[in-house]
Amino acid sequence: MVNLTVNGKLVQADEGEMLLSVIRRLKIDIPSTCHHDAVEPYGACRLCTVEITKTEWNGWKNYVTACLYPAEEGLIISTHAPEVIELRKTLLDLYLARSPGAALIREMAAEYGITATSFQKVPDGDNCILCALCTRVCDAMGFHAISSVNRGHGKEIAPPLKEPPPDCVGCLSCAQVCPTDFIQYKDKGKTRTIWGKKFKLLTCKDTGRPTITVEFAEHLSRQRNIPADYFEHDHESHRRQLALTLGKLAEWDRKE
Amino acid sequence: MDKRFVVTPNLCTGCRTCELACAFSHSVNGKPGLSRIYPLSAGTDEAWVPVVCLQCENAACVKACLVDAIARNPETGALELDYDRCVRCMACVAACPFGCSLPDDQHSLVVKCDLCGGEPVCAMFCPTKALAHQEICSSDRKSA
Repeated sequence: MVNLTVNGKLVQADEGEMLLSVIRRLKIDIPSTCHHDAVEPYGACRLCTVEITKTEWNGWKNYVTACLYPAEEGLIISTHAPEVIELRKTLLDLYLARSPGAALIREMAAEYGITATSFQKVPDGDNCILCALCTRVCDAMGFHAISSVNRGHGKEIAPPLKEPPPDCVGCLSCAQVCPTDFIQYKDKGKTRTIWGKKFKLLTCKDTGRPTITVEFAEHLSRQRNIPADYFEHDHESHRRQLALTLGKLAEWDRKE
Repeated sequence: MDKRFVVTPNLCTGCRTCELACAFSHSVNGKPGLSRIYPLSAGTDEAWVPVVCLQCENAACVKACLVDAIARNPETGALELDYDRCVRCMACVAACPFGCSLPDDQHSLVVKCDLCGGEPVCAMFCPTKALAHQEICSSDRKSA
């Protein structure tokens, strides 16, 4: 255990625990757009930047991303120091120049008092803030279907060669975790389209309602030993079936 | 003391009080959430079964979760979903053979019974004690 001070409050944390988790535990609200517990911290969005210092640093301060900085003895952290607010404002101002259409960016910027960017708008800007949460989650799921391509100005998230990704199973995790809802997919009847790849959705044998993609179910059966017949019905028919089975057992119980 | 959540279908009248209790105790932003328990017809008009997560020993939802977001709470015995880890791929919903991992489309979440952290609220409200949170004596546990 190490002792640190967060916004003037003395707290304890495990050694090596990231500052963001300590700050979240204290219910202090700081933006952390690119962070997700399912993946390793990455420090892409820089919005969780906090000010750190120590008494022996003689007034020297540093600005670090809370998601990537491990707790250490005697650290004094400020999550809303004027310099930190100024830093976050600049970041949000820049994000607003690139992704003015992203609701989350607009909301966060408004919270920090920015309604329009003071920079020149990016001419071909989109809602992707390049936090790479989608690619990291895809890697964590074990598919590695998408990644970031190019560098600098031309950086973007794409499948290999920008063709329909062969390793994608259409689980939609990338779209679900995307903080700015940039990743689009389409479910229409029994087909799902994402990253330009078409998937066939499994349907319940009773209700006909679509569940997950054929590829995802096959992956789960193969990798996780889940019997393929578990995927033949949707959750509602599974429940109804369980009720009938338990009902039969209860009937025997009554007769006894 | 070892308490278990015990469901006795023969006592269920299908009044759906458990559903209400569950929805209210799992409210989201002050609004009732999606119930994790459903009394369903067991084939005839009189027979009802409250269908709720069985907290399986070798659970399909845990196996299906590729980011290890579902884990057993050692204190309550419940399989709990870590919402900060969940990537909402719906694998657990598709994999559960009892259909007790539920998609909450309104909040784009997955919900499942968490035994309310050790004191199931549905059991407190069940008027016929079809749902009960009761102590299990050691002889029962051996035979189970």
